[in-house]
Amino acid sequence: MRAGRRQILVVEDDQETAGQLVESFTIHGYQVNLAANGNDALSLGASGDYAVITIDRMLPDIDGITVMQRLREQGIAAPILIISALGEIDERVRGLRAGGDDYLTKPFSFVELLARVEALSRRSDTVIRETLLRVGDLEMDLVSRAVSRRGRQVSLLPREFQLLEYLVRNQGHVVSRAMLLQHVWDLHFDPTTNIIDVYVGRVRRKVDDQQAYPLIHTIRGVGYCLRAPG
Amino acid sequence: MRLAETLRSSTFKFALVAIGLFGAIVFILFTYVYLSTASYVRGRADRAIATEQAILQRAYDQGGRGDLTATIQQRISDEHFQNSVYLLADPSFAVIAGNLKAWPPALGSGGWQDFRVQEWKPDAANRPLLRGIVKTLPGGEHLLVGRDIEDLDAFARHIKVALISGIGLVFVLAGVAGVMVTRRTVGRIEAINATSRAIMQSGLDKRIPLRGTEDEWDQVAKNLNLMLDRIEILMQEVRQVTDNVAHDLRTPLARMRGRLEKAHHRSRDSENDQALIDDTIANLDAVLRIFSSITRIAQIEANVQRAAFRTVNIAEVMNEIVELYDAAAEERGIRLRCVGDERVLVTGDRDLIFDAVANLVDNAIKHGRAPGQVTVEVAEGGDGGAIVSVADDGPGIPAAEYPNVFKRFYRLERSRRAPGNGLGLSLVAAVARLHGARVEMKDNLPGLKVRLLFPANLASALQEGTRQGANAGEHKALFIAQ
Repeated sequence: MRAGRRQILVVEDDQETAGQLVESFTIHGYQVNLAANGNDALSLGASGDYAVITIDRMLPDIDGITVMQRLREQGIAAPILIISALGEIDERVRGLRAGGDDYLTKPFSFVELLARVEALSRRSDTVIRETLLRVGDLEMDLVSRAVSRRGRQVSLLPREFQLLEYLVRNQGHVVSRAMLLQHVWDLHFDPTTNIIDVYVGRVRRKVDDQQAYPLIHTIRGVGYCLRAPG
Repeated sequence: MRLAETLRSSTFKFALVAIGLFGAIVFILFTYVYLSTASYVRGRADRAIATEQAILQRAYDQGGRGDLTATIQQRISDEHFQNSVYLLADPSFAVIAGNLKAWPPALGSGGWQDFRVQEWKPDAANRPLLRGIVKTLPGGEHLLVGRDIEDLDAFARHIKVALISGIGLVFVLAGVAGVMVTRRTVGRIEAINATSRAIMQSGLDKRIPLRGTEDEWDQVAKNLNLMLDRIEILMQEVRQVTDNVAHDLRTPLARMRGRLEKAHHRSRDSENDQALIDDTIANLDAVLRIFSSITRIAQIEANVQRAAFRTVNIAEVMNEIVELYDAAAEERGIRLRCVGDERVLVTGDRDLIFDAVANLVDNAIKHGRAPGQVTVEVAEGGDGGAIVSVADDGPGIPAAEYPNVFKRFYRLERSRRAPGNGLGLSLVAAVARLHGARVEMKDNLPGLKVRLLFPANLASALQEGTRQGANAGEHKALFIAQ
């Protein structure tokens, strides 16, 4: 990964939020450029090579979605994450969420934002074409749909297989519940229940029970992370 | 109401314009009547005089001054001609014959004349009006033939007076009518205004009084009253929801505040502090979830999402829900299954339908019997629509509570301690209404069965829904308790 790819453009007009974002992204190793309005965003966006651009939906001058469209017209291909305080009410963002890069509703936890930004920045440079995925002693055969740990077969339902595949593909990275719902179930809302936890719990029992070490880890308040020890 | 107010009102101004127009027409009509009557009357007199003049002229032409004098004498003595005026004078205007003693000085030397003379009928109240024609005869004599037209003139004058007073009366009556109509109209409007002012000052409980005449004013008042009813209900709902939101948010917020305050006075301890921070974040998340649920329901109820409607195979969605909740059901020892048709299509929003039915399934698993079973059934309705039902075999809920459970934040007494915020069924109801679907609850003997009945034709169902909503209040129209 080139050093320049860890550059991130944050477009946010609220000073405190912007400060928090800059600080947190910097701690996580990103080089952050901040634009406080749409026009700055357009000039900064055109001048840098960004791994990800996050844009607040409500800006003092130009609408966040328009900023995104203008950047795209200028040939900026960096993944864009739109942040909206309007939530479900924002019909245009809803459309974007289905086909665009990504979307997050205010208020959000920073861990969730980071998980999404990392997923977006990975997207462009890791196209996994293997048919066999490996993490530690776990093996997933994407063709025969077989899963095993240390050679011992683990039997999963189709949806459970999809969930595990998503976790494996994002190994070492935090995956939020909303991301799981979005990518495994293609659902774009936040269920108010702990249904995802229950579901992941069952997958975890099948995958991790009576093994040398656990693979699926709960990240409190955010979601899950699949990683092998060491 | 003061007169000044009446005169200022637009209704009265309109009445004035109408009166003006009407008055002008009446004036033109009356003038025409007067002029044609007057000219008819005068024309008749003139013709009679002209005939008489022609007879005398002929007598003169045939027998000279002597014959003419004789004819005049004969006519004067005839009772029949007592209203006629004859006067023959020589070239120096000395009277030769006739029923006037002297040639009237006002009279010119030729043509038609209207005149009065002192000596004619001296006992009459007014000096009568005479009309005559003066001709100079070939021998130089002057001949006046005329008539007393006082009666005709008086007739014309009477007509004139009658017409003028008629016009006056019309204006007066129209003016009075205008004021009365204006007062009535302004009075009704003033009643509405007064109610509006009262509502602005004191509250929504005032209504515009009806007169029971079923006229357009009553209709306006009735509709405004209905509107006020609707607004009042909405305000009550908003207040109710605000109270509930306040309550539901205050509880976790107060808890958080208490804990933070306690921690503030305590010496720092990283382990305790970490736990406190985690708890606080979890609590804040719960509060935020309530917020997003409320806005989500509000948005669905605002019907802004129909643009995203697609054809959805609802059976497929139900299978996905069952698959998603399979683990949760298993954990409670509940057997969750999906039965029924494989392919049932509805027009709608997949995410919302998913969310709504997921809420029903979630409720069924949470409140159903454990171990027990929850069944999701998909079937095509008789009319081509779709029916989705979620049934459990738990304790169910009393029939009397059926309409209540759809209210926001409403929770049955026994489930108050269970996790949840009382918004799930409100969301189900909102999604159902967006899809023109009905929600039915019934006893599953034992347990609860909730059915969603999707219409075959979304457009007509929505229209029907709107009509019902307008008549009976939208919420109730959609729920049928069996």
